[in-house]
Amino acid sequence: MFLRNAPIRRRLMTITLLTCGAVSLLTCASFFVYEFFTFRQSTVASLSTLGSVLASNSTAALTFANSEDATEVLSALRAEHHIQAASLYDENGKLFAQYPANLPRNAFPVAPERDGYNFSAEHLISFQPVVLGPKRLGTLYLKSDLNEMYARFRLYGSIMALVVAASFALTYALSRSFQRQISQPILALTNTARAVADRGDYSVRAPKVGEAEFAVLTEAFNQMLTRIHDGDSALRESQETLWCLNAELEQRVEERTRKLKEANKELEAFSYSVSHDLRAPLRAIDGFSRILLEEYGEKFDEDGKRVLDIIRSNTQNMGRLIDDLLAFSRLSRKQIEASPVDMHGLASDVFQQLQPGFADQNIQFNLAPLPPTEGDPALIRQVFVNLLSNAAKYSRPRTQSVIDVNGYCQNGDCVYYVKDNGVGFDMTYAKKLFGVFQRLHGVEEFEGTGVGLAIVQRIINRHGGRVWAEGKVDEGATFFFSLPKEGSETVYKV
Amino acid sequence: MEFPKALANRSSSRGPTVLTAICSAIVALCAFVASVSAGPANEYQVKAAFLFNFAKFVEWPPNAFSDTNTPFVIGVLGQDPFGSYLDDIVRGERVNNRSLTVQRYRHVGEIKQCQVLFISRSESDHIDQIVSSLKYRKILLVTDADGGNGGVTIRFVNEGNRIRFKIDVQAAKAANLVISSKLLRLG
Repeated sequence: MFLRNAPIRRRLMTITLLTCGAVSLLTCASFFVYEFFTFRQSTVASLSTLGSVLASNSTAALTFANSEDATEVLSALRAEHHIQAASLYDENGKLFAQYPANLPRNAFPVAPERDGYNFSAEHLISFQPVVLGPKRLGTLYLKSDLNEMYARFRLYGSIMALVVAASFALTYALSRSFQRQISQPILALTNTARAVADRGDYSVRAPKVGEAEFAVLTEAFNQMLTRIHDGDSALRESQETLWCLNAELEQRVEERTRKLKEANKELEAFSYSVSHDLRAPLRAIDGFSRILLEEYGEKFDEDGKRVLDIIRSNTQNMGRLIDDLLAFSRLSRKQIEASPVDMHGLASDVFQQLQPGFADQNIQFNLAPLPPTEGDPALIRQVFVNLLSNAAKYSRPRTQSVIDVNGYCQNGDCVYYVKDNGVGFDMTYAKKLFGVFQRLHGVEEFEGTGVGLAIVQRIINRHGGRVWAEGKVDEGATFFFSLPKEGSETVYKV
Repeated sequence: MEFPKALANRSSSRGPTVLTAICSAIVALCAFVASVSAGPANEYQVKAAFLFNFAKFVEWPPNAFSDTNTPFVIGVLGQDPFGSYLDDIVRGERVNNRSLTVQRYRHVGEIKQCQVLFISRSESDHIDQIVSSLKYRKILLVTDADGGNGGVTIRFVNEGNRIRFKIDVQAAKAANLVISSKLLRLG
């Protein structure tokens, strides 16, 4: 419907006005039609009566063929303004008398037509018989204008227009006041709903009107609002509690983290300063024992010289230990600078570099194509240095050392391993392998400080990867490390 | 203006207009047939018709007839100028539901039952005598003779080639006859 989007007040009023208009128009139209036919009938009836009187009065004139008298009878029509013409025809159908007398003959029908009435647009024409007893004497012709009828219709038309206009005005006024009874509660509800929707304010209430459906609707709406309001505030309360708890938790975590960081830093600073401060006395011991050996060498016997050598080798050993410790603790502070790493080139490069150190050893180095990855190239290089030198070192007892390096990618991680055919280890101690200063073999057997694998673990962990080892006593060992694959999100551990 | 009640009532009622129209048509047809057979009219043919037509516009008191079946009599006194015209006109007609007969008289004394009496010109010398002898007889006296002093109700007059008549209301009253105002208008 055309009013679909109009406000309810206008819709109500338009509906009322249209209904009233239709009803009043229909009423007026039926009244008009009724009047039209009634008035036509009464016009015919009055003309018929007039004709009967005239016909009766002209019987003698017709009987005695006295047209002067007939003309006089017809001249009585002067009193009837609506009669425009009248004429009498004798029994042979000849014009016998006419009214008005001065009208030309051709203004009248030449001969009478069938008895009866005939309405044209402007005239009512009648032919009536003139009868005396059983005998027909002639025909009376009457021509009446319809001015009176049209005047009457004009009057009716204006009255109807007035009535319709008045009823429209009255309906407009009434519906204007009555529509409020329906539109007001709806508008109030709408406003309340809008306030709720726009401002999210569930505390507003629609005003209650009367006791009928609207009141029920309003009450139901208000009840709904109350329920929503209660639910909303409960939700808000629990949300606030949750927020408080969350904030508290976060604060606690933050505090702990801060404390942990502080402790860690203190520890690192401590270990660094300890390592650093330890070097000075060591250098002194080493220096003075060298002076002793060089300048007073001949004063010592072989035993003394041997002890001095032991002192020197242990001092150097301790110096290396301290260097490694420093390197290890430096790792914690170093920022990781990630970039693409050509793992294959790196492994090959490291092996080339290490080879002179193992010149006396027969080593078979099998390097499979390694998938590239992302990370700090200097640190990854350190990983390969440590793992490859370990592999060479622990396979020294073999006449033919075999070192396999391989890698593969799966589930977003790239896994690389270095395998040797060396002395291996007992899997019971696999966990201990990566601890600082943890060694499964004696220094006499294999030189080293026990920091290498710890460094490997720390580097890999800081790249977001992990390390593990597989092995068996006398059957070689395999060291694995995984790195998050190139392009995937890498979490660098602090 | 006179207002015939029966006619007015009939025309103002709406029902039988169709029936009326059909009746009127039949009547008109009969009239047409009658007029064709009438032929050219001479003076006495017209006067004969007038005599017959007078009967329709005049009321006789009930005691003018001896009983309800008594025919309506048109009499001619003296020499008959009508020939067969009067008989032709009257034949088969009825007035006030009575049949019509034409009687011819040579003397006043022969007149017994008579409603319309035409006094021929042959009697123009004795008109006063005839009138006085027929006084109170409830007879409509008609003549085209010139004689007499009064008492004749209707006298034919020739106006040019047309036939008119004069009505003596006193004479009609004396004869106890009621003449229709329509007829009086013409007389």
